[in-house]
Amino acid sequence: MIKFEHVGLRYGIGPEVLSDVSFTLEQGSFHFLNGPSGAGKTSLLRLMYLGIRPTRGLVSMFGQNINGLDRTELSPIRQRIGVVFQEFRLLDNLSAFDNVALPLRIQGKNEKEIRNNVNELMDWVGLQDHKNMLPNTMSGGQQQRVAIARAVIMRPRLLLADEPTGNLDDEIGHKLMNLFEQLNRMGTTIVIATHDQNIIESFGHPTLMLEEGRLRIEDRKTWLAKKMEGVF
Amino acid sequence: MKLPFLNKKDRKLGISDRRRYDIPLEKGAGGRFLMLLVCLMTVLGMIALSGTFALSAMKDRWTSGLENQLTIEIPAQDENGNTIEADALKREALAVKAILDKQSGVTQARILSDKEMQELVEPWLGEDVILGQIPMPALISVKLAEGHPELLDKLRRDIKAAVPAARLDTHEEWLSDLVRFTGALRMGAVILALVIGFTVVVAIAGAIRARMAEYKKEVELLHLMGAPDNYIAIQFQNHTLRLCFKGGLFGVLIGAVALKLTGWIYGHMDINLLPDFSLGHIHMTMLAALPLLIALLAFATARRTVLSILKKQV
Repeated sequence: MIKFEHVGLRYGIGPEVLSDVSFTLEQGSFHFLNGPSGAGKTSLLRLMYLGIRPTRGLVSMFGQNINGLDRTELSPIRQRIGVVFQEFRLLDNLSAFDNVALPLRIQGKNEKEIRNNVNELMDWVGLQDHKNMLPNTMSGGQQQRVAIARAVIMRPRLLLADEPTGNLDDEIGHKLMNLFEQLNRMGTTIVIATHDQNIIESFGHPTLMLEEGRLRIEDRKTWLAKKMEGVF
Repeated sequence: MKLPFLNKKDRKLGISDRRRYDIPLEKGAGGRFLMLLVCLMTVLGMIALSGTFALSAMKDRWTSGLENQLTIEIPAQDENGNTIEADALKREALAVKAILDKQSGVTQARILSDKEMQELVEPWLGEDVILGQIPMPALISVKLAEGHPELLDKLRRDIKAAVPAARLDTHEEWLSDLVRFTGALRMGAVILALVIGFTVVVAIAGAIRARMAEYKKEVELLHLMGAPDNYIAIQFQNHTLRLCFKGGLFGVLIGAVALKLTGWIYGHMDINLLPDFSLGHIHMTMLAALPLLIALLAFATARRTVLSILKKQV
């Protein structure tokens, strides 16, 4: 369902940040995205959430070749993708409630449905009492939970998260990972970019390893072996 | 989502009770500047429009007052510059009047009295002028019935035959000058209105471009969540519509006060050059519709600008 074939990416006239990246993610799969800083994780995620187009190669999402699509045709595809940004990217003028409700409003859902869904999710992420707060009055952890709630509210077919547990304590981090697991069991494909070795180890999903712009997929066994060798 | 009892303290704590736009368009001074600009443009628009209405009304009044009217003048001096005796002048005037009275298409023919002549020359020669001391022509005011286009030529022939020195003045030359003059002024007002419209369009387009640059990240975020261009354009266009309508309303209020003041000053200056003028219901309605017109122009400009910028994005 997500297929990258010989994808390359460069910004302007700079060097390629991603070189010849090829992989296929089946519907309902769960992958971690790992690699050293500057390896191109965020760029790869940007390609996957259609924030940029590749310089070369083919990208196919949900059976559609993205390269051949007009920009106006990308909207329905983007609506099927939930993204948790590393820097949260909440809208400061909107309350936590309205931030979470945004994807539903974009899709034109009615206010009753929005209220029910958002309240349920705000309960789940433990922010029911904070739903009318503006993001800049919330802690980093709270903002991250709002960002996660916003990403999952549409029950996306693909969920991309960039360091989603970075600002959370272990307990809430694991709780959120369990939410991702739950979503995954319901059929959502998940890719989580993280440096957190404990999470990668605990949840044991295959890892997309990015090094110097090149990608390879490692299963848990290989990943653990490398970890034992002190590669990470 | 509405909160029933939200007070200042809650707002200070960061509790939000309303969401008008996803993008924080209500932040910053840009909106207030745009509102002020639209307000001033509306005032200018009102003055230009009122000027056009006033000129049209004046032209209509002047032309309707002079239509189907003519003045016959028998000069007080002959072609050699010799003054004609008052009695002889009077006889000639009576002869012309007799011709006029016989014509079926002439509804009124009247020799202007000495008093009327005195009133005519007073503005130039003063109140103390004694008519007998200066050579004064004889003037006959004539009103014609409508629908007799051939009558004027016949009168001209008959009167010239009886009194060769008599001159017929149909006011045509003066009227056409007046119409040309008011036409030029009206054209000036139309050009001013176009300049105002163009200024609004340019200002809105500039403001929208600045706003789009300011909120680039927010716009990109909405796109990444799958918002189509239309969803984003609606936010900008509705915000612009609200701002410009508000600015336009203030402009109409200020413009109305300015026009009232101008009318009051003119009324107290005792100038009789221009006839009295007041705005009718249709004119008032058109002026009151100005904010809506400007707001719609701004709305369309904002939408077009946003869509054209978004078109260039990924």
